[in-house]
Amino acid sequence: MRRSSGRRVAGAAIVAGLMALSSIPALGQSADDWASTISGPVVLSGWQSSPAEGNALTQTLLSFQAQYPNIPVDYQPLAGDYPTVMAARFASADVPDLFYVNADYAQQWIDQGLLAPLDDYIAASGFDTSAFYPGYADVFKKDGMWYGFPKDGNTIGMAYNTALVTTPPTTMDELMAAAESLKGAEGLTAPICLNAGLDRGLAFLYANGGELLNADGTASAIETDASKAAVQWYLDLFKNGLGMTAGDMGAGWCGEALGKGSAAIAFEGGWLDPYMQSTFPDTTYAWAEMPVGTSGEPVTISFTVAYSIGADSVNKDQGFALLSYLTGVDGMTKWTEGGVALPSRSDVPTPAGKDVLAAGSAYARPGSGFMPGWPEVQKAFADAFTAEIQNGTYSADSVVAATKTAIDTALAQ
Amino acid sequence: MTAAETVRTSDTTSAVSAPVGDPLGRWRRRIAYTLLIGYAILMFVPFAWSVVTSFKTLPDSVKMSFIPNPFTLQAWQYAWNEMQPPLPILFVNSTLIAVVVTLTNLVLGSIAGYAFARLRFPGRELLFVIVLATLMIPDQLRLVPVYLLMNGAGLTRGLGQYVAVVIVLAISGTTIFLMRQFFISMPKELEEAARIDGAGFFTTFSKVMLPLAGPAIAAVTILTFQGTWNGFFWPVVFLARPDHYTLPIGLYFFRTAGGLANDWPPLMAVVVMATIPIVVLYLFFQRYFVEGIASTGVKG
Amino acid sequence: MANVTGQAGAPRASRRSEAVAGYLFVAIPMLLFLVLNIGSILYALYISVWEWNIRSGPVSFMGLDNYTKALADPVFQTAIRNSIYYAIVWVPLTMVLGLSLALIVNQKLRGQTFFRAAYYFPAIASSAAITMLWIFIMAPDGLFNDVRAALGLDPLFELFGISPNQNWIGDQDTAMNTVILLNAWTTSGTFMLFYLASLQSISNHVYEAAAIDGATWWQAFWRVTMPLLRPGHFFVATVAVIGALQMFDQAIIGGGVNGDPNNALMTMVLYLYNAAFRQFNFSYAAAIGIILFGMIMSATLVQRRLFGAAPAW
Repeated sequence: MRRSSGRRVAGAAIVAGLMALSSIPALGQSADDWASTISGPVVLSGWQSSPAEGNALTQTLLSFQAQYPNIPVDYQPLAGDYPTVMAARFASADVPDLFYVNADYAQQWIDQGLLAPLDDYIAASGFDTSAFYPGYADVFKKDGMWYGFPKDGNTIGMAYNTALVTTPPTTMDELMAAAESLKGAEGLTAPICLNAGLDRGLAFLYANGGELLNADGTASAIETDASKAAVQWYLDLFKNGLGMTAGDMGAGWCGEALGKGSAAIAFEGGWLDPYMQSTFPDTTYAWAEMPVGTSGEPVTISFTVAYSIGADSVNKDQGFALLSYLTGVDGMTKWTEGGVALPSRSDVPTPAGKDVLAAGSAYARPGSGFMPGWPEVQKAFADAFTAEIQNGTYSADSVVAATKTAIDTALAQ
Repeated sequence: MTAAETVRTSDTTSAVSAPVGDPLGRWRRRIAYTLLIGYAILMFVPFAWSVVTSFKTLPDSVKMSFIPNPFTLQAWQYAWNEMQPPLPILFVNSTLIAVVVTLTNLVLGSIAGYAFARLRFPGRELLFVIVLATLMIPDQLRLVPVYLLMNGAGLTRGLGQYVAVVIVLAISGTTIFLMRQFFISMPKELEEAARIDGAGFFTTFSKVMLPLAGPAIAAVTILTFQGTWNGFFWPVVFLARPDHYTLPIGLYFFRTAGGLANDWPPLMAVVVMATIPIVVLYLFFQRYFVEGIASTGVKG
Repeated sequence: MANVTGQAGAPRASRRSEAVAGYLFVAIPMLLFLVLNIGSILYALYISVWEWNIRSGPVSFMGLDNYTKALADPVFQTAIRNSIYYAIVWVPLTMVLGLSLALIVNQKLRGQTFFRAAYYFPAIASSAAITMLWIFIMAPDGLFNDVRAALGLDPLFELFGISPNQNWIGDQDTAMNTVILLNAWTTSGTFMLFYLASLQSISNHVYEAAAIDGATWWQAFWRVTMPLLRPGHFFVATVAVIGALQMFDQAIIGGGVNGDPNNALMTMVLYLYNAAFRQFNFSYAAAIGIILFGMIMSATLVQRRLFGAAPAW
């Protein structure tokens, strides 16, 4: 499909060229002008999570090709474990020109010098980076330099079964009350499906005034009273039977638990929608924003992936031309309009049906990759938290202690 | 007629002469048979589940039922039409690599195994320890240095990608080890006879020992083919062009259909299709496990 | 000229040509092994003592820091414990299973072909597919729990602290044992093949002689078959231990990249994988690899000393 899509792309460009050209809005002209002066092939790589994604990307690449026929795109998605395969590529300086970088490991890749800084290109082309939501974009910057642009984003929202939950809770207290009243309801294993780790727990930590790091990110803040209380609050949900992990409910993840009716409330992102439509079409559910906690502010966490150019990439100019299109207004609109993910720019319209989740983009904090050694910190928290649940002790002390040790070690490196 | 049968006959004969005679023996056999058959059927359960699931719809497939409701062929149609690259290409790539790797393993492995078992040369045991050592290095550790090597040799582009995969998988320490153990346990009289008749080392190997190695060859063929057919790691590292993908890689891309969901029915359809060649190969080769030395008339 | 026992007299010229033949026979495999495998180990050894950047190479000399860090890490210690436990339980279990199946299938039973096909079947499917199916079956509301409840076996399991809704793979106490059972079941077919090949190399006349001497099947098995299976045992045990200490696929599928729950499924190779491709700390991963290699080599050499004497001439 990749090679034939190259031919398809060229062929379609001739057929659809006029139509595509006529629909391009007159925004961001200077970036477009710069890109029109570039010519040459570009190799794009990444992973593909669903056929819907593959189709959306192909359509976006087609319109890019229509606008810039001098830059043929060779799309080669990678199979297998992406960081593993990319590691072999980085080691042999055999990297694609433009590729995905998950926020999870973005800072590590930047630290190791694997990604090319983009500021010179931004200056030369006049690309407008101000529209990116800081929550998505900051993870890909270091020392004020850009190393990638977020191609889209996802925030965590509260998905609830509309048959069981009539009014969605708006505060954490209301959430607890709703869960209490749902306890023991027909068919429910537990009212809420929760993850025993920071991949969701971080949102609850923030909502209740807890923090992992101090204000300038130089020291741990998990051991403060506020943080410990927030961790205990989250643990207590498990202790009081209001929440359970997906595994304990017999589901692979909380989306499955919601779909099967084992849980009434789950905290997930936009990826839940295509899953529910295809696998559990009979379960009716709706979205609501994360409940507000003791901090009084709405907060949620976000996950994102960027396009980056490799330090050893051969066709960096073409790579940036493609990058500025894909993460510019036109390209991102095309990419996200089908609902594959949320836009990471504020000047791109929200896809249909994603209003609740998109509202979170404005106030979301990064859910990964915002500190060095994030995988180890996450693991330390999850291990201790799971132990507390499985041993039945439900004490935040050990969780806080283990996390603090991991944070200290990570910051010291 | 294997010798084991001879021994068992004498066992039942002695049982007959025991006070509690034949009925107990028969019941014991019945129970034994039932257990064996039950265990055997259990072995097919996963595959049966795969087949059944391939005829279900997605919402139905997450339920724990053994009868599809409704029964549909849409998963098979979807798999056949929607796989990129198409199934025939995946099959061709997988077959090509599996056949070549199996052949190289057979040739290189049997020759080397024989040498380690029967030929004397200085440093033989050290070299054999090195052979064993190759099994102790996880692929994840080898990834970067091997990729560096192959990239340096220009084997990460175009058709070289196939060559890279084959070179990495060409000979496995397990194959050499298995052949060595087998040749060790064979009686020496045959070789001595051949040597006395003036046969050279290679002739002794190829004309005398190799024809007797049917069971070992069958084992190597089955295991190597099946391991390569289902192998994921090295193909996914080297075979970067989609038209080079093997079945497991195609299945991997296909598996991510529906986002986080596993779209089980078409997945299972592909799994079933992918399993059939191995089953055929196995059924063909497993007959070699009965021939062995019985047919060669070796005098004790 | 002194003769080595067992062979008819071997004059010097033929001994040298035997040596040449030996080297020639093993040349190609050894070349490939030296380049692709030993080369990798040397590479790992080299980078493990440097702070290593994957693009630019060595950054600064670290000496044995990576090694001390690894051995002091409680997660790595857990990984070592888990891998050793897995090997100690899984290897004998699967060997016994494989040998039993081979013995059964080696008889002239009715439907011999059917049994041979059936018992090998689990090994045919890809391990990823089987593991996912296993997770499906062993889920809290999965087939296994349903069946044992239906058979009224729950009270028996309660004695061991197993709840009716047991999350077999997600519970830190049962996860590893569940994986052991899964792997014993799937690999028993492969070991059956190994033992079948071995059994076939035992000449019928040996059994006939035993029968003539009046041995029962049981006696024949222990006094005749087992000793003659020694090369087979050595092979299976060695390969099994080497594979067990490197168990990875089921650990990552069942427990994710972190060996959830709470490191119950953290094995040494999973730890290495984590270090290399999650933390991108390649020199640390290389040190782990060297430690792992050392452990496996030691175990294998011990086994070789105990069970696998070199062929006597």
